Parts: sequence; structure tokens; C-alpha cells
Amino acid sequence: MMGIIYSLNTMAVARFPKPDFTSGYEYPEIIHGVPNELFWNVMDIVLLIAMMGLVVWAAYKKRGRSIILSMSVVSVLYFGFFRSGCVCSVGSIQNVVMATVDSDYNLPLYVLLLFLLPIIFALLFGRVFCSGVCPLGALQELVNVRNFRLSRAVSATLSMIPWGYLAFTILYAATRSQFLICRLDPFIGIFRLGGDIGVMSFGILLLIMSIFIGRPFCQFLCPYGALLSVFSSLSWKKLEITNKGCINCSLCGVACPVDAIRPPQSSKMKEERKRGVKRIILFAILLPVLTFTGAVLVGSQSDALSLAHKDVYLYEMLLRQEANPELDEPLEVETFNALGGNMEELKAKVDGIRSDYEFYSYFAGAFIGFVIGFKLLKLSLKRGRKTYEIDMARCTMCGKCFNYCPQNLKTSK
Amino acid sequence: MMRKLYRNIAIVTAVFILILTAMLAVSYYQMQQVSPLETGVMETLKELNETNGDNELLQQQIRELDLLSRKAYFVKEGQLKMGLYLLLGMALVLVTCLNLYYKETKNLPDKEFDPIDEWAIKTNARKYISWVAVVVAVVCVCLVGLQHIDFKGLLAKSDGEVLEEAQVDEAEAGESQDSQTQEAADTLATEEAKAEESDSAKVEDDMPELKVSSKAFRGNNSSGVSSARGIATSWNLNGKKNILWQSSIPKHGYNSPVITGRNVFITGADAKARELYCYDVWTGELKWTLKADGIAGSPSTMPKVNADTGLAASTVATNGEQVCAIFATGDVICADMEGKRLWAKNIGLPDNHYGYASSLLMYGSTLIIQYQNNSNAKILALNAKNGNTIWSKGAKDKIAWSSPIIATLGGKSALVVMGNPAIAAYNLSNGNELWRVECMSGEVGSSPACAGGVVFGASEYAKCIAIDGATGETLWEASDYLPECSSLAATKDLVFCATSYGMVCAYDAKTGEVKKEHDLTTPFYSSPVVVDGKVYLFSNSGKVYIFSASTFDLITSFETGEKTFATPAFTDGIMIVRTDKSLYCVKKK
Repeated sequence: MMGIIYSLNTMAVARFPKPDFTSGYEYPEIIHGVPNELFWNVMDIVLLIAMMGLVVWAAYKKRGRSIILSMSVVSVLYFGFFRSGCVCSVGSIQNVVMATVDSDYNLPLYVLLLFLLPIIFALLFGRVFCSGVCPLGALQELVNVRNFRLSRAVSATLSMIPWGYLAFTILYAATRSQFLICRLDPFIGIFRLGGDIGVMSFGILLLIMSIFIGRPFCQFLCPYGALLSVFSSLSWKKLEITNKGCINCSLCGVACPVDAIRPPQSSKMKEERKRGVKRIILFAILLPVLTFTGAVLVGSQSDALSLAHKDVYLYEMLLRQEANPELDEPLEVETFNALGGNMEELKAKVDGIRSDYEFYSYFAGAFIGFVIGFKLLKLSLKRGRKTYEIDMARCTMCGKCFNYCPQNLKTSK
Repeated sequence: MMRKLYRNIAIVTAVFILILTAMLAVSYYQMQQVSPLETGVMETLKELNETNGDNELLQQQIRELDLLSRKAYFVKEGQLKMGLYLLLGMALVLVTCLNLYYKETKNLPDKEFDPIDEWAIKTNARKYISWVAVVVAVVCVCLVGLQHIDFKGLLAKSDGEVLEEAQVDEAEAGESQDSQTQEAADTLATEEAKAEESDSAKVEDDMPELKVSSKAFRGNNSSGVSSARGIATSWNLNGKKNILWQSSIPKHGYNSPVITGRNVFITGADAKARELYCYDVWTGELKWTLKADGIAGSPSTMPKVNADTGLAASTVATNGEQVCAIFATGDVICADMEGKRLWAKNIGLPDNHYGYASSLLMYGSTLIIQYQNNSNAKILALNAKNGNTIWSKGAKDKIAWSSPIIATLGGKSALVVMGNPAIAAYNLSNGNELWRVECMSGEVGSSPACAGGVVFGASEYAKCIAIDGATGETLWEASDYLPECSSLAATKDLVFCATSYGMVCAYDAKTGEVKKEHDLTTPFYSSPVVVDGKVYLFSNSGKVYIFSASTFDLITSFETGEKTFATPAFTDGIMIVRTDKSLYCVKKK
């Protein structure tokens, strides 16, 4: 609803044509402001580093949540509302992909730092950025009241979505079609008080869900979170719930909103070792098969996917209009004709785009297939644990477990 | 006590949020439905202003109403915004109250969904992920399948199989009853039938879906430009090289073929009857014939027409659902795609000393007729579904033989007609004149063209002219080479012109300078059509000339051996040509 109403400003402009002045009034020249000036760019980077540093200190030294919550408030206010949520580290993936495939695309150092700094911190300390620095995560954290838990098996399944999202983000950025993350960012409309109605409605829905489920966007959608989880699982420092020794009370596991606390391994399901080994071998063999299958399946959809590119879409519209001239001409077709567009030139361009799509669709499909295969393989491995441990790949460092741990309370006393 | 209070506040707030959200949604929906500047009053005032341009009082009223509408809209929008802020405030109260309510209990362990066993959870997760992967893969495979299945082809094949089975059954029944000789004859007949079925099925199996149509004279919108691709650049009627089929035409006519779906339409007429024909684009089979008879007001004797014009000079028009035809008698008939007559009427016997020749045009379900007459020329817009008049405008021009086109002018579709002495543009929805340029003279038989928002027109003994479609301003004039019957075709760079004295040329679309000319020493009545980067042009003798559309260099030329006056129609990889005695289909083999 908020989304619907926020977008009124934009719609009103389109609905009302400029008044017809007959007095000789001349419209002033439109001057576009520079969106990100150097000062604010530097400020963003400085704040990003400072806030991530503070979170590291709060998580590793203080083992407290209050500082992390304070960071969340600052992040929502500064990176969210004040800086309008752009450029953000989540969206910077697209800029980096574009710079990788297109040598003409100039990647600003500022954007590169936004992309790299959270990754560097993840390699050192885990998903510090997700904690209270990312405005998207922080907003969800602040509205969270109570955690009604989902089945962990369902959570594990849903957590595959971000990888698919990441694959298509790369596909669309590499083919210069669109910045999918920016377009589908559910919270940007809230920060900017305006945007696409559908996406904003989705954002509102996510926020309502966030009241009762911990960070649904971070857990089941965020592509940058998926990327950070890889680096975080390899992090130099591993976060511990307490340094006073775990007493296996399980309270931390109950507290965790993102299901990142792994309980001690005590399997009640008995399985022959031979059977388990066989399964691992099967999934190891399936890994390249799934990768290949994914490549073929998504690659076969490259033509349909390419419709996301505006030129391909226009070309298809022109063909449709040509075949059905009795239909009302869409605005795009009218504009193309009015500007004397050349169909042949457009076709040549579209052929090139479709060729790009063919290549990158195979890549995206292979990536998705590989992720599914790898996840199945990972879920087939058993690892012994004697106490409750943090899964660094999933942990978003919200700090809730610290407050729940009776050992930490004892320490603080 | 306090906990209860928080709970109650949260409940009241939640109910308030729900009601407010519903109210805002309704209010938003209402705003969406309203077009503040398109009210009936405003439209009426604007129409009055168009006819009475100097009325200051009226203009003042329009301005005031305009301002009032804008104010009302933005005030309403302001109220919506206020409602939104209220909603946000309430949401904040709700979250705070919920937090306070759950303050003491939110840390309690939640209901455990999963078995307390890591391995059991992993087993379930593996199962779920595998199933999801399988479902996604199946969906992808289905999507791939849907993209490649030709449902029409399958249906056609299915019909063919049923027919074939029926014939086999019939043959088997014959075998049991007839003599051995008869049996042999039946078997032979069955085999022949099967062979024909097989050929037919092969054609239908190979049949791709035709995306490009050609719904009027010189293509869609009568533009002289087609988006068809892969058209053959050589063919031979005698050797049947690149000829898919050739069919005879029951009655004579100079009109051109039009194509929609797999139907090809033409008309023919003589003193006895006037007929609309539908051919199959893939086989050349005459699917149906519709006679224009029994029409009230239709003359009992045929009007006197020139042999070069005939009784069926006008090309039909279709919108894919209806097809309409007009004859020199003033009879208009309209049928559906199956040949069922929907309506017919006589719009008056045209007083036309050569014979009525203007072709029809359709815009959606509106049929446009440039009714050329010495006494009461007019432009008619009829409802193609029932023949009712939508609008009618009396033309100020003298009689002509030109055909209307639909052009994109200033970003909007408009009707452009050419006559003597003017080229004029009209609003398609109400027939209001948009602009009028008096520039023609003599007997105007050529039709205009449009490219890049510029309208081009030319006629012998007059001039070639380029007009800005948005303003009606003349951009350039030339008189180097002028057409008599053939119409212009244009791209944004060049304007192609074929004359009846054998000269063909390309004018620069921006300056009117002749960029290239060819003396081909053969008359042209047929019009050039721009297709796939080439210009196709037939001489009256049936010689084909194919030029480059970018340079107008002659790419190739060859004789077909059959006189051709009509303009060919194009679709995907296919060209349909009407000669003075047959209809044939050119397709690369």
C-alpha cells in the first residue's frame, strides 16, 4: 500500500502534460545535480570501515548486541534514508561484473571499495557487513519482534534462492540488459519514499514478515549475502558465542534468527558408513552432470531471457506491430517510427545481444547447477561437534546469541 | 497489567492499520480511474475552441478548469500522502507495542519443527532440494517444448491423419465388395490419394508460422514497406524455379494481393459478377469465393470503365478478422476469414470516367474508403463488423485514383490521402483534418508514402513533394521524374519513384535531390516495395527489377513472362504476385 501511494508523485508527472503557455514563457534549462559528490563518497567509505570495525569489536571483544543495534540505526538513517540506499555494496556486484566484461565501462574506485571492503572483512571476521552496516539487513533487524522458526530443512532449501538470483544478476549485468538488484531492491523505495509499486509492495511484505521471521531478505534472497557467505566460511577468525566454555544449554540456538547455530552432532538416525560413502560418491558424480544440465536448460531459454534487454524487447514489439497493425501502437514503437529508426540496424544489434545471452545463459545455468550439486554434496557430509558452534557462512552477526548465553551473563557479572 | 495494555494497543493499532490501508487503497484506485484533464466538459470546451479559435472567454474558461482539475488532483494526492504518514506512524506504534508485549517472553524457546537431529534435518533438506531442482528442470523442459511445438502444424497434421485413416477404411470396404479389377483400380486411387495426402502433409509440416502480414495495397497501412525477410531474388515461372505454386484467377482484375495468416485475398469482376477470392498461401488452392450480389442499390448494368482500370481495380483490405472489397459499381462487401458474408452495401455508383480504383484500408475494425467521385467525393470510415458509418467527411478535391495510407505523424497514426489538388492528413478516429497542402494537379493516380514522419507524394504533371507530417510544412519539391499510376515507396533516406515512361529514380528524402536514376525503357504501373534492404519492382511487361534500398543500385533484373500491373505482397520468405492471368507464389527452395 505504501508503495502504491509513494509512487503517486511519479505518476502525477506523467499524467499531466506541461501547461501550454502562450505568453512566450520559456522553460528553464534542466540542470541535473551530481548524485554522489566526492565528499559524500569519502564519507561513505570512512563510515563503512568505521562501522564494520565497531561491529567486529562488539562481536569479538564485547560480545554484546547493543552496539550492533546502534549501528543498525545509524545504517538505516545514513546509508538508507540519507544516502537513499545507492550505491550499495549489494548492487555493486553488477558494476563489477560490467567492468569485467566491458573494458569501456569505467568502474569508480568508490564502487569497487564498496564491493571489496565487506568481502575483505568477511575473509577476516565473517559477515560483519550484514550485521548492522547493510541498511537492508539493519531495517529488518530493527522491526524484528519475535522469531517464529521455520523448519531448518525448508530454510536450507530456500537459501538456494540467492544463488539463482546472483546467477541472473550476473547474466543481466554481463549482457548490459539491466541492473536486476537495483530494479528489484525491495527496500530502496522505502528509503527514497517512492518507486515501483510492485517492488515496494514486496518490500512492505518482507518488512511485515521481518517482524516475526529473522531477516527474510538476508536469508532467502540477498545475492551479496550469498557471496559473502562463501568468504565468511573461510574467514580467518571464527566467532565464538562465549569464551567461557559452552555448557550446551541450547539457548543460543533458540535465539538465532537466521539458523546459524549448529548443535552438537548427535545423530539419532543410524546409517551404515558404506551407504553414506556411496551417497557422497553419487553426488560427486552428479555435480558435473547437474552443472551441465543447468547450462543446457538455462541456455535453451536464452532467447526468452534476452527479452529483458530493451532493444530485444523493442524489436519483438516492432515485429508484433508489423504483423498486427490494427493493434494500438505502443509508445516505444511510435517513438521508434517517429525517430526514423532503422529496423535492419536494430536487428543486427539484437542478433549481437542474443549471441551474448546465449553464452552467458549457459554460464548462469552451469553456475546454478553447480551450486545445487555442491549443496547436495555438502548436506551429505557429517561433521562431529561437541558444543554449539556458529556457522560462519550463515551468521549475520546480529549478536542475539551473546545476550542469551548464560556464560556471557556470568562473565558480565 | 501493562502487558495487557500493550496487547490491546497493538490490536487496536493493527485494526486501524487494516482499515486505513483499505481506505487508502480504494482512494488510490479511484484516483487511478480518473483522468482529470479528460473530462467531458473539458473535451467539449476544447472542441469548441478548435472551431472558434478567437474566443478569449472560452480559452479563459479552459485555463481555469484546467487549473481547477490539477489542483483537485494534487489536493487528493496530498491527502493520500498524509494518510500514508499516519499509516507509518501506526506501524511504528504496532512494532513498539509488540516489542513491549513480547519483552519478557520472546526469549523463550519456540516450538521445534525439526527433529532434534542434525542428520535428519540434512536428509530432509537433500530431499527438498532434489525435488525443487527436478521441478525447476521439468518447468524449463516444458518451456523449451512450448517454444518449439507448432500447435497449428500439429492440429493440421492430426486432421490429415484422420482423413488418411478414413480413406484407408473406405478403400478396405471397397475391397470386400468390388471385383478384382475394381479392387486394383481402388488400390491405385487410394495410393494416389495417399501420395497427394503425403505431399500436402509435407507442405503443412514444413509450414512455419507466418508472422508478417500484408493487409492492404502495398502492405500493412499501404506503406510500401514490408518487414518480410528471406525473399527470393530470382525465379522462373516456366522452370518453376523458386515457385511454390501458380493458380489461375477466375475473373480479371488489376487489384493486388493481400495476405493475412495463411489467406491470400484478391478480387475479380466482369459484366456478369463481382467476386472476392481467398487462396491458401501455402498451396495456392482457391479456398472460397464470395460473390458481391443481391446488394440493395447496386446498379443493374455495369458502369462504363476504361480497359486499363476494369471493374476490380481496388485492392481489398483486411484486419485479420474481416476482409472487405469494393468494386467499380460502388458495392462494398465484407466477409470473415471463412468466407461468410458479414455485410454488404452500395455506397453509390461512382461517377468516374476511368473507373473506380482507390484501394481500401483498415485501421483496427475501421474500414477507410477514399470514395473518388466527380460529384460527391468523400472519405468514409465504416465499422468493418457491421458496415455502419463511423464518420464521413466530404472531400474538397476533384476526382482522383489514389489510395489512402496510414502514417505515423508526430508520433501518432493518421490517415493521409492524396488527390487533386491536395495531400491532406486526417485524424483516424473522427476524420478531422490535421493539415492540407495543395500541391497536386491533373489526374492523380499515385498514392503517397511516409517515412520518418515525412509524407511524400508525387503525380505526373504536378510535382514530387515532401511534407513534414507533424506540421504540414512543405520541406522540398522536385519534378525530375513523376509517376502516373505507380506509387512512391520511401525509407528515411530515399524516396523511390517509378514512372510510366520507363525512368525510375531515388530522391534524397531530406533534400529532394535525385540520388540515382535508371532508364529502363519500360512502363511501370506496379509500385515499388521496400523489403529486406531491397526494392522490388515489376514492369508492366512482367520484368522484375531488384534494387538496393540503400543505394538504389540495380542488383538484378529478369523477365517473368507474364504481364504484371499489380503490386506484389510479401510475408516471411514468400512473395505473392498477381499477373494479368494468374496468381503465383515465390519462395526460396
